[in-house]
Amino acid sequence: MKYLILALNLMLVFAGGVAAGTPTDDVVELRFENRKFIPQTLNVPANRPFKIKVVNASKEAIEFESFKVNREKVIGPGETATINIPALKPGSYDFYDDFHRDVPEGTIVAK
Amino acid sequence: MKLRRLFMLLAFFSLAYARPAAAQLDPFEFEVYPVKTVGRGMLEVESLNSVVINGSRHGEKGTSKGTLPSQSMWRTAIEVTYGLTDRIEAAAYLNLAKPRGGDLQYAGSKFRLRGSLFDPGELPVDLGWYVELAYARTPKFDDQKLELELRPILQRDVGDFSFIFSPKFEKILVGSEEKEGWEFGYVSGIYYRWLRAFTPGIEFYGAIGMMKHPDPTREQQHYIFPVVRGEWRGLEYSVGPGFGLTHGSDRVIMKFNLGLEKYIGALFGPSTNPLY
Repeated sequence: MKYLILALNLMLVFAGGVAAGTPTDDVVELRFENRKFIPQTLNVPANRPFKIKVVNASKEAIEFESFKVNREKVIGPGETATINIPALKPGSYDFYDDFHRDVPEGTIVAK
Repeated sequence: MKLRRLFMLLAFFSLAYARPAAAQLDPFEFEVYPVKTVGRGMLEVESLNSVVINGSRHGEKGTSKGTLPSQSMWRTAIEVTYGLTDRIEAAAYLNLAKPRGGDLQYAGSKFRLRGSLFDPGELPVDLGWYVELAYARTPKFDDQKLELELRPILQRDVGDFSFIFSPKFEKILVGSEEKEGWEFGYVSGIYYRWLRAFTPGIEFYGAIGMMKHPDPTREQQHYIFPVVRGEWRGLEYSVGPGFGLTHGSDRVIMKFNLGLEKYIGALFGPSTNPLY
């Protein structure tokens, strides 16, 4: 049982550090409608966490996904989701709708 | 008559002083679960496969939890998972095994819930949880009838690397070892997100035995698996050889897991609570 208590305490210690890891309030908005992301390029500051507010204005569910950023989220039709993105090194990071691979990919550009 | 008494006495003492089986891990599931669950409304079907290439020729040794030896044992778990909410998934498993020279046969069932706490990136370390009930009526493959498993899941992404650590706490609820306490083990992995179709990594699986009196190190089971996983044309895979690091482990195991997922529709709306 002491291992269980130790593990739970470790979780609490990590959870206690929320302030240190909380993303900033920087939010960029991304819409999905007519089978495309608008805008297709998101320009964000490098080395600083931020959030993407994804609005699914289409009539189909989508899955916002970025392999390199390690984020994926199912967003139902008419729903909005906010996704935490960690601080990114300068560069380009693809994102896509994993349910509709024919939809043009978008890019996050961190600089 | 004397002989019968002697036999009964021997049987009594062997039962009274029997030690629980050596540290056990789940040989049907060589898979490291991240904090992220299957998406809301997604159905995933997976086939988790392994074969013991160099194992033990005796039951209850190495990855064998029953009377059959692990050598050449082929194991397949068919896992069906559904994303209940943005943070909770439910899964059912059908375990099948094919011992050397035998047919593929039923070897048990499992049911589990897995969840994440908060959104990824909300905390310095992403947190998840895992609760599983394993049911077996096949002493050949598992001599315990009902087992509970609890795991916290901790994950941290650093650049292109993901680190996952999941200590395991197991308790026999029904079976000859139900009076024993909790067993301790671990599942862990490090991955480099290189390409979507090709992500190399190293996985670690282990079981140390009862928490109150762990097995001697030599008898514990510890494995290291260099793996490659990824997704290609919608098919997810995870493949690699596993090497036992202790005398109590099987020497070489090969694992190959395949999975497909499809959106079938969500039962619930978006999660508004960080806990579910």
